[in-house]
Amino acid sequence: MFQSIIDWFVSIGLRLDKAFIEGGRWKLYLQGLGITLELTVIALVIGVVLGLVVAVIRTAHDQQRVGRRKNPLLGFFNVLCHIYTTVIRGTPMLVQLFIWTFVILKTERNKILVGFIGLGVNSGAYVAEIIRGGLMSVDVGQSEAGRSLGLNYFDTMRYIIIPQAFKNILPSLGNEFITLFKDTSLVQAIGGMEMLYYAYTIGGRTFDYMPPLIGIALMYLIIVAIFTRLQAKLERRLRESDRR
Amino acid sequence: MIDVKNLSKSFGDHLVLDNISEHISSGEKVVIIGPSGSGKSTFLRCLNLLETPTEGELSFEGTVITDPKVKIDRIRQQMGMVFQHFNLFPNMTIRRNITLAPVRTKLMSQAEADESAASLLRRVGLEDKADAYPAQLSGGQKQRVAIVRALAMKPKLMLFDEPTSALDPEMVGEVLDVMKELAHEGMTMVVVTHEMGFAREVGSRVLFMADGKIVEQGIPDTLFTNPQSPRLQDFLSKVL
Repeated sequence: MFQSIIDWFVSIGLRLDKAFIEGGRWKLYLQGLGITLELTVIALVIGVVLGLVVAVIRTAHDQQRVGRRKNPLLGFFNVLCHIYTTVIRGTPMLVQLFIWTFVILKTERNKILVGFIGLGVNSGAYVAEIIRGGLMSVDVGQSEAGRSLGLNYFDTMRYIIIPQAFKNILPSLGNEFITLFKDTSLVQAIGGMEMLYYAYTIGGRTFDYMPPLIGIALMYLIIVAIFTRLQAKLERRLRESDRR
Repeated sequence: MIDVKNLSKSFGDHLVLDNISEHISSGEKVVIIGPSGSGKSTFLRCLNLLETPTEGELSFEGTVITDPKVKIDRIRQQMGMVFQHFNLFPNMTIRRNITLAPVRTKLMSQAEADESAASLLRRVGLEDKADAYPAQLSGGQKQRVAIVRALAMKPKLMLFDEPTSALDPEMVGEVLDVMKELAHEGMTMVVVTHEMGFAREVGSRVLFMADGKIVEQGIPDTLFTNPQSPRLQDFLSKVL
């Protein structure tokens, strides 16, 4: 029985060597990780920009004064935004990625680029709801106070509303980043060469899937853990003004 | 200073202000009293267009401010407003709460604004709180800061929307004292309040509102001792 445990440890060394060291394969994982991080960051930037636009349109529409004529252009954009968030949030991410790859952008050879767009557009719908919730969570008295002092709409938003909303948005936005980071692995399914792609390929070539898959699972886990730490630190700093 | 002509305001089908006309002159201390739901806060909030009137015309120092072409921010810079719930900006220090508007509207440089904030805070006895955050202050202190924040814009008129209603009873006095001092200095004030003592002592004129109308008005002594309308008699019998 001891022999079999020893054998297992010896063999695992060899398997790890094959999966990560032999032929400098670790470089491939790092290369994949780079693409994964790139996908996450660019998709999040697209998502935040899209989300901000959608959130501002929807908030501005909802905050139009009761009993007055509504702005028809704003109404039109609001319907558009509503359709966007409904469709994106109501369909699976992988289905969306397939539609981008095989229907909308079927001539595009660069699958990472398709990944940016697919993930970014998906993320935008979620970020929009996060930002909208954040803007609405700030007490209306805050903007009244700002405006009553003679500050204009933009200064009131910039100095008073958005900083307070940001504090409320941050935890959800952090979660969105984490979700997005893990969802980048779906890009493998459309042929994007990110971290899972390399692990899967190496697993196939060495006829041993366990070490590369567990390996990248650990990488995902470690990065999420680091990010969660950073996020908590930033939140603590932002809460400074609430302290008594 | 302020002219109100045939002002009406409704929220949906609900008529809150019903064809009000009124004039407020420079130096007056107008106190508005009345039962809740009578439209007194809405009337006050119409004066700086935090509420947009449904009908009617408002002018401030000769400018028709209900005209959509008027730059309302410019007008609001000359009217301070103090809210029931203080509405200090929790993300900024007290100093920044006070200096943000004067600096952003280019009324003062940051140094001038800091200077003026310090002297205003000294006047209300809060000079040591400049670097604190609103959450570190008591209700009475918050409201005094809110008054200072409005005064920092050097307004020609101050609007007070139930400034003591959200305060613990022992803090009401410190806020009323600041308001009394302001009144003695000659500031034009419009105050919505339930503090009948304050109305009596400071008010140069009292408006009694009910059901969206100004039912009765006059100098405090006459109004309180010799109310004419049954509505006011009924109201006073409940609050005095």
